[in-house]
Amino acid sequence: MKAVGARLPRYDGLGHVTGRTQFVDDVRVGKTLWVKALRSTHHNAAITSLDTSKAEAMKGVRAIITHKDVPKNVYGHLEGLGVPGDEPLLADGEVRWLGQPIAAVAAESEAAAQAAVEAMEISYEERPALFDIRNALDPDAPEIHQWGNVYPHYGPYNHRRVRKGDIDRAFDEADTIVEGVYRPQAIEQVPMETQVSLVVPEASGRLTIYSCTQAMYFSMGVVAAHLQVPLNKLKFVGGTVGGGFGGKVDTATETICALLALKARKPVKWRWTREEEFLVSSTRAPWHIELQDAVSKEGWILGRRTVTLHDSGAYARFSPYGLTKHAFHHSGAYTIPNLRFDGFVVFTNRVPTTAMRGFGVTSVSFAVETHMNRIAEVMGLDPWELRLKNANRIGDTSGNGVVLKDPSTVAVTLAAADRVGIELSAEYRGMNEEPRTGALLPEHLVAQQNLNGEGA
Amino acid sequence: MNLIVNGSEVEIVSPPLTPLLHVLRDELDITGPKAGCQQGGCGTCTVLIDGEPRRSCLTAVAAVDGASITTIEGVGQAEELSAVQAAFYKHYAAQCGFCTPGMVLAATALIERKGGPVERDEVLEALGGHYCRCTGYVKIIDAVMAASRGEVDSVDDLPVPEPGQPEVLPKGSPA
Repeated sequence: MKAVGARLPRYDGLGHVTGRTQFVDDVRVGKTLWVKALRSTHHNAAITSLDTSKAEAMKGVRAIITHKDVPKNVYGHLEGLGVPGDEPLLADGEVRWLGQPIAAVAAESEAAAQAAVEAMEISYEERPALFDIRNALDPDAPEIHQWGNVYPHYGPYNHRRVRKGDIDRAFDEADTIVEGVYRPQAIEQVPMETQVSLVVPEASGRLTIYSCTQAMYFSMGVVAAHLQVPLNKLKFVGGTVGGGFGGKVDTATETICALLALKARKPVKWRWTREEEFLVSSTRAPWHIELQDAVSKEGWILGRRTVTLHDSGAYARFSPYGLTKHAFHHSGAYTIPNLRFDGFVVFTNRVPTTAMRGFGVTSVSFAVETHMNRIAEVMGLDPWELRLKNANRIGDTSGNGVVLKDPSTVAVTLAAADRVGIELSAEYRGMNEEPRTGALLPEHLVAQQNLNGEGA
Repeated sequence: MNLIVNGSEVEIVSPPLTPLLHVLRDELDITGPKAGCQQGGCGTCTVLIDGEPRRSCLTAVAAVDGASITTIEGVGQAEELSAVQAAFYKHYAAQCGFCTPGMVLAATALIERKGGPVERDEVLEALGGHYCRCTGYVKIIDAVMAASRGEVDSVDDLPVPEPGQPEVLPKGSPA
């Protein structure tokens, strides 16, 4: 623990300040081909024809791939858990979001690759699109995903559930019910380095893949699955990421580059433009979060009902995992003895969504903290005292049954109050995270307390 | 066409309207200037043209024929950092490092122009067109002001772990 608290130089700092840090785009390999993609110009459409022959005949074009060139085109991140894949690497017969890749070309220059894309002939039959998660279950909503508009693979359920205590009793006993709807929206992560990879076919038959991925082993697994090759055929070189913020968890360019490198038998690079980064890279998801809290006049949160809709975009990717994290954090940093949470991953004709800085958690934290202020306002309570009173303590049980051993809510709340100059009464100023006793252990919290450390 | 790049004269064979950024990166293999947006918006491609910070992505090479170009590679090496580089290093003003070359060059030009300590507002003005998504800018602004006051001039000025602490040597990027 000697490094904790010590002022240590950044191990990569000298490389950064002298410009010597080698990002993927800085790797120099001779005779590298450039990639461009034919992308959907519709939000939802059948592809009625696709002809790449003119593009193939163009000067400088070395390889073109469509779904027919992908050994395993449809893949899903949760296949290891038994959830079938749902997303094609290259669109096959239909497109579900504006910008979805359909074909990709490797050519001797960026301009030649772009010209080849523009020479591809494609026709569509447009279909009605779904953009608003709140309309996804309407009787007249278009069904836009093969599983229906809601992800159906949470065990026996089509949604993530949390059940704790007796929610009906909590609402019967409440003095006031405080409701709120919170709708954090999509955000593009905007790393300064756009998505980029460089794939070099080696004489041994292996592929060397220079990748800006944030998630090396995820990315290796994705490429290996689509190519249907063992991991030892892939040598990933990563570790230098020009900003990611969650946006480089998805494998954006590596698989298509790898297929083109194999087909052209040349090094292949794909560096997305800033427009591609904004328009077609995965974003943080929009959410629709409804909170309903049963509150006593003393300021105890007796119970919480939550309905969450998560906009997954056109395919599942990591959204079911993000929603699960969201579920585990939906009581925030507070102990609520009775919970009923129902969260749905909803498909829309938007760009698939992914991680960004606290995948799934930031949205629910925003909702919970805003809701705490709303409760304080409705009940005429001090928002700091409300938080400290309901704060997690040692021995409290979280919504998903974890007994808390080192909760920090009290310490963090007190420090925050101190920093912004809030004067708390002595009763609250002297609080700590020790197990509840006395006035802080009312009858309704006794059953959730567990000082033996065993999970519920 | 000819350019003087980091003190050396080079002949350029790229077509005249090629962005200076591509000439530097693809013809000359000088990769310090980065292709962040290629539309003048982000500042990662910044170089000094005759001492002034300019967007190399929006500059046609023919427009700067004969000019002196300074990239981050011409500012200082790991063994002899410039004051601005040392300040960025010491103040932890670089995180992912992608915006850092442009930031360092713009800050260098500001301090050169001012010839003495710079104010916070002047740093905000000079770096206003440079995006950083990692640091939140505070450390960058602190570093530029410290460099302008001559507070940081050597790598030796860095914190060194106490004896018995784990050895963490500043080796530069592993890549």
